Amino acid sequence: MIITCPYCGPRDLSEFAYQGDGNRKRPDQASTSQKAWNAYVYDRLNPAGEHNEIWQHAGGCRRHLAVTRNTLTHAISKVGFAGAGATRKPAPRRKPRQKS
Amino acid sequence: MVDQLSPLEPVLHSGRHGHVANGVGVTLSETRPGSIVQLAAWPGKEKALIKSVKQLAGIALPDGAGGGIATEAASAFGIAPGRFLVIGEEEGLAAAFAAAVARDTGTVTDLSHGRTAIRIAGPKADWVLSKIFAIDFALPAFPLGSGVSTVHHDIFAQIQRTGAERFDTYVFRSFARSFWHALCRASEEVGYEVR
Amino acid sequence: MSPRRTASGGLIDRSRSIRFSFDGDFYTGHPGDTLASALLAQGVTLFGRSFKYHRPRGVLTAGVDEPNALVTVLRGDAREPNIPATMLEIYDGLTVVSQNRFPSLAFDVGAVNQLGGKILGAGFYYKTFMGPVFGPLKGTRFWMFCEHFIRRAAGLGRAGKVADPSRYERMNAFCDVLVVGSGPAGLMAAKQAASSGARVVLADLEPRLGGSANWSGESIDGTAAAEWAAATVAELKARPNVRLLPRTTVWGYYDDNTLSALERVTDHKRTARKGEPRQRHWTIRAGRVVLATGAFERPMVFPGNDRPGVMLAASAARYATEFGVLPGGKIAVFANNDGAYRSALALREAGTSIVAIVDVRAEVSTAARELATKAKAEILAGQAVVATEGGKTLSGIKVQTFDAATGVVRGDARSIDVDFLAVSGGWSPIIHLASQAGARAVWDEKAQAFMLPPATERWTGAGACAGEFSTGEALAGGAAAGSWAAGGASATDPVPEAGGAVLDIAPAPVFEIPAGGKAFVDFQHDVTADDVRLAHREGFISVEHLKRYTTLGMATDQGKTSNIPGLAIMANALGKQIPEVGTTRFRPPFAPVSVGSLAAERYGDIRPERLTPMHDWHVDNGATMYSAGLWHRPMIYARPGETVDQAYVREARTTREKAGIVDVSTLGKIAVQGPDAGDFLDRVYTNMFSTLPVGKARYGLMLREDGFAMDDGTTWRLAEDDFLMTTTTANAGKVMQHLEYLLDVVWPELRVHLTSVTDQWAGAAIGGPRAREILAACVTGTAVDNETLPFMGIVHGEIAGAPVVICRLSFSGEMAFEVYSGAGHGTHVWQALMKAGKPFGLVPYGLEALGTMRIEKGHVTGAEIDGRTTARDLHLDWILSKKKPFVGSMMMDREGMTSSDRLQLVGIIALDNRPLNGGAHIVERLDRETPRDSIGHITAACYSPVLRKHIALALVRGGKSRHGDRAYVSDPLRDRFGAVEIVSHHFYDPEGKRLHG
Repeated sequence: MIITCPYCGPRDLSEFAYQGDGNRKRPDQASTSQKAWNAYVYDRLNPAGEHNEIWQHAGGCRRHLAVTRNTLTHAISKVGFAGAGATRKPAPRRKPRQKS
Repeated sequence: MVDQLSPLEPVLHSGRHGHVANGVGVTLSETRPGSIVQLAAWPGKEKALIKSVKQLAGIALPDGAGGGIATEAASAFGIAPGRFLVIGEEEGLAAAFAAAVARDTGTVTDLSHGRTAIRIAGPKADWVLSKIFAIDFALPAFPLGSGVSTVHHDIFAQIQRTGAERFDTYVFRSFARSFWHALCRASEEVGYEVR
Repeated sequence: MSPRRTASGGLIDRSRSIRFSFDGDFYTGHPGDTLASALLAQGVTLFGRSFKYHRPRGVLTAGVDEPNALVTVLRGDAREPNIPATMLEIYDGLTVVSQNRFPSLAFDVGAVNQLGGKILGAGFYYKTFMGPVFGPLKGTRFWMFCEHFIRRAAGLGRAGKVADPSRYERMNAFCDVLVVGSGPAGLMAAKQAASSGARVVLADLEPRLGGSANWSGESIDGTAAAEWAAATVAELKARPNVRLLPRTTVWGYYDDNTLSALERVTDHKRTARKGEPRQRHWTIRAGRVVLATGAFERPMVFPGNDRPGVMLAASAARYATEFGVLPGGKIAVFANNDGAYRSALALREAGTSIVAIVDVRAEVSTAARELATKAKAEILAGQAVVATEGGKTLSGIKVQTFDAATGVVRGDARSIDVDFLAVSGGWSPIIHLASQAGARAVWDEKAQAFMLPPATERWTGAGACAGEFSTGEALAGGAAAGSWAAGGASATDPVPEAGGAVLDIAPAPVFEIPAGGKAFVDFQHDVTADDVRLAHREGFISVEHLKRYTTLGMATDQGKTSNIPGLAIMANALGKQIPEVGTTRFRPPFAPVSVGSLAAERYGDIRPERLTPMHDWHVDNGATMYSAGLWHRPMIYARPGETVDQAYVREARTTREKAGIVDVSTLGKIAVQGPDAGDFLDRVYTNMFSTLPVGKARYGLMLREDGFAMDDGTTWRLAEDDFLMTTTTANAGKVMQHLEYLLDVVWPELRVHLTSVTDQWAGAAIGGPRAREILAACVTGTAVDNETLPFMGIVHGEIAGAPVVICRLSFSGEMAFEVYSGAGHGTHVWQALMKAGKPFGLVPYGLEALGTMRIEKGHVTGAEIDGRTTARDLHLDWILSKKKPFVGSMMMDREGMTSSDRLQLVGIIALDNRPLNGGAHIVERLDRETPRDSIGHITAACYSPVLRKHIALALVRGGKSRHGDRAYVSDPLRDRFGAVEIVSHHFYDPEGKRLHG
């Protein structure tokens, strides 16, 4: 599998670490809702098909990425930086390797 | 000032090694720069940081993912969003940046002791590195001056192309000897010279 | 003169001879020969004995599909079994032995198994050896008795027992277009793609690129096909954007066009050049892939079809044309298709005589008849071979009238005197790689084969692999595929014309001649047509079950010659059509791959290891090194004659009495920088850090999100926005990742940067009653007295000219200081400390003494922070802030995490004064016979020099309320039982007087 890191470009799966279900929303730091915390810590979606996942480019820029991946085909339809504030876009990296 | 002891000292054997009957495929050397500094900008402050690189290291670092520049005195390249590695011949670059980079611009981290700089040069440099890293080292894919962050098993490496046939790699100091051994082994086939 | 070598022709280099040995006899061949071609040229027909019945076997094919002629290659003490003789290039000194025979290939006692053929049918082992014992000769216990004899008699080659001395390497490649297969289609595809500027890799598993062009005898572009291929290869080789990989088997097709290939770099050489690997494992990431892998010819299933001298027709033609070897003198051809007639002609033109072409079809096409006439061969239409005659070589065949529509033989059998039989049962495109890529094969009724489905965005097929069976079609298909793969650039060169007869290779749907006697489907695993039918009668109707029950297609050749015939016989038994029965999915590897090539550089002494800045000093000064994860750390510095126990006890005692120094460079160190760093640390640690003054350190504990303890360490505030966090050695990576996740995903608004600075700093912890005096003797630029450097204080100074940061903190329980310097100054500073410490009796100490002193102090490490313990279990309640939320704060108070009968940290003292062991259980009642009712376990144990007792830390249920209780250690594995006392984990100096000095 190859994930195209928005910063580093296409890289091998071996450079990435799976960091879990990307649909989880962490409760506010001050939240005292046990239910919300339980859901955050233990509930995971596990769809057969499109899934929002968090991957860290641990063997590259080390940024966490929001990846939309089909769990049946491994096809990746979207990759961006994880985190609401991470909207900055780096300038495109070189010319794309693959012609099409 | 006390000289830095290289982690490669006992294993760096000058001379030609491996299959050198057809010449030397690569030359391996430790460049031992005086300063290796990481600069990290807050989102949107990259330009200000790049400006300070121009002022303090005298090089024009291009913006953009993995972009970089290499000169004899200093080099720099992007290693992650908003993060750059700046390498200088002289010691003390980290302190200079720490004094110059404003709190609102970003942070400065001295890695002069923490990373070991190894240069791989020669016609077979890309061949040898391709044995180790899953990176496309062809010139169009890896232009002059640019850099990548990658990993070989547990050995994290930042690599900058500093010539058509020359790459400078920065690895964690504790791994440097293992990496050196791996590099020498990978180079035996093409013949290598240690300088 | 070789008895079966042609006078001229072929692509071998006749000007040079190569000498090699087979089963101890010496033979010669030429460069360009395989072992198979060289031995065939010498008249050798017997290559091995079969898997189960020990039947004599010869060569069936000329390539990677070979099921029979497997040999073992000897190189020094190393032996590599199961190498197809058809894929083994000869070299001077090559030493090969045959397999599965005893005492010799010609006389094999195991051949008696043939007499028991009915007994050894499908499922024999399952039926005989599985399940309960009913009689003396049944069941699992009987298997255990027989196994030794069966294993010796059955099977393929014997593996070597010495370590593989070869070098293997890996290589990463990137390209726009990968072309797999270098026949006419592959060459055209590569040429087309390359001329449009794309980066092209062309891989072929054969040593000589060109594929069928090397032996088809056809013409391409007005010249001999082999010459056209050689010229095209030369042209490609000269292009900077093309990489040619001969001897390279592309064996795996993975996600996102990542393909694995094995290059045999020096297997064909007597010796490797210095540094040259034996094999290279390529990982190729391709934009697009052209599969030009060709097709396999299929054998026919008929009685005696495995006798040496029976060979696939195109393979026989290939030996004649490419290698200049006549596989027989008087040849018969047995076919169900027109393609075999071309092979017959090639054999005739090379100098053999074709006695007859036995064709199961009653009607034979005009084109085929013309070829037969040229070959001076009689066509026996509507007939079939029903038996072969001879012993270890063929002496004749029997032919009977055959009705292809009903599959029935009738009439009298007639003997024909031949020494070789060329067989063709049709062609199967080699679709393995596309299948691996997820493509579902499509059954083609006309071609009687599974074909490639339509191409995808990532790959396309060309040539015979894509059903383009004639050379003309293959050339055009290759050019189109190359153009598409390079991005659709228009064709630049005209497609060359191919000469030679255009044949319809569609075969008659005949796979088996049912005529009684052993008719082999899977030659390598000795599976017969009757075995397949037996499996059907016993209820195996799924092709996947059939495969496993009969082991059809499960040998090293993975059924390359047997899959389709086996499927056809199964379909026939089921009364179904072949596509209804289905085909098994092909999985990697396409051909056997050496484990060495997969391990490549991750072998032997080149695993990555992490060394501290003072590593060489430790080794030079007598340290016994110990690997802790990837790190290498001193365990003890033994003096001459000292045991491990004596050494660590001395080191610990000296540290408590005078001073000791230990290398702590391996601690994880993370620079936490930025205006929000203090706030961030408040969120991730259970205690407060934003209030920590600059120049001070604080002990901190981190919890996981689920409230369990995660890691601990000290964090130093070096400047307002600059913290240096330390983690345990083992958890450094995990903590870094945890913090990065929080900053990237949860709190991206925080202005905090994290950088691993573990390697930037060398750390030396110096402790003991004389430690401060030692520092005072060598540190300049700062005082180190209690006022300047109180507990948890930080000062900056120099030691022997090198800048240092000193923090006063203690793991050993003594007054201690951690001295940090730049890693490149680490040894320099360490030596200066050793020198300054000499008058005070300073000793270096290792992990054993470090562990001993921390157990005495009751400090926790990874053994106690094991992912199941809470802060409270470890007596760390005092560090849980109530003023702020932190990671895990809402989850740590859940029911079950606060109950009083959890496993809690305690101390253990052995009352019998014998050593304790980590992992041993603590019990309330001692029962050596049936150990039971564990109330906990020991996490770390040592002999305590200060207490002069064997002590341990343990996690014991409700341990906090058991202090003073008697219990027992129960360690049946190590036969260690005995009474212990449960005490507080603070064995030594519980008030901490010593560390405050």
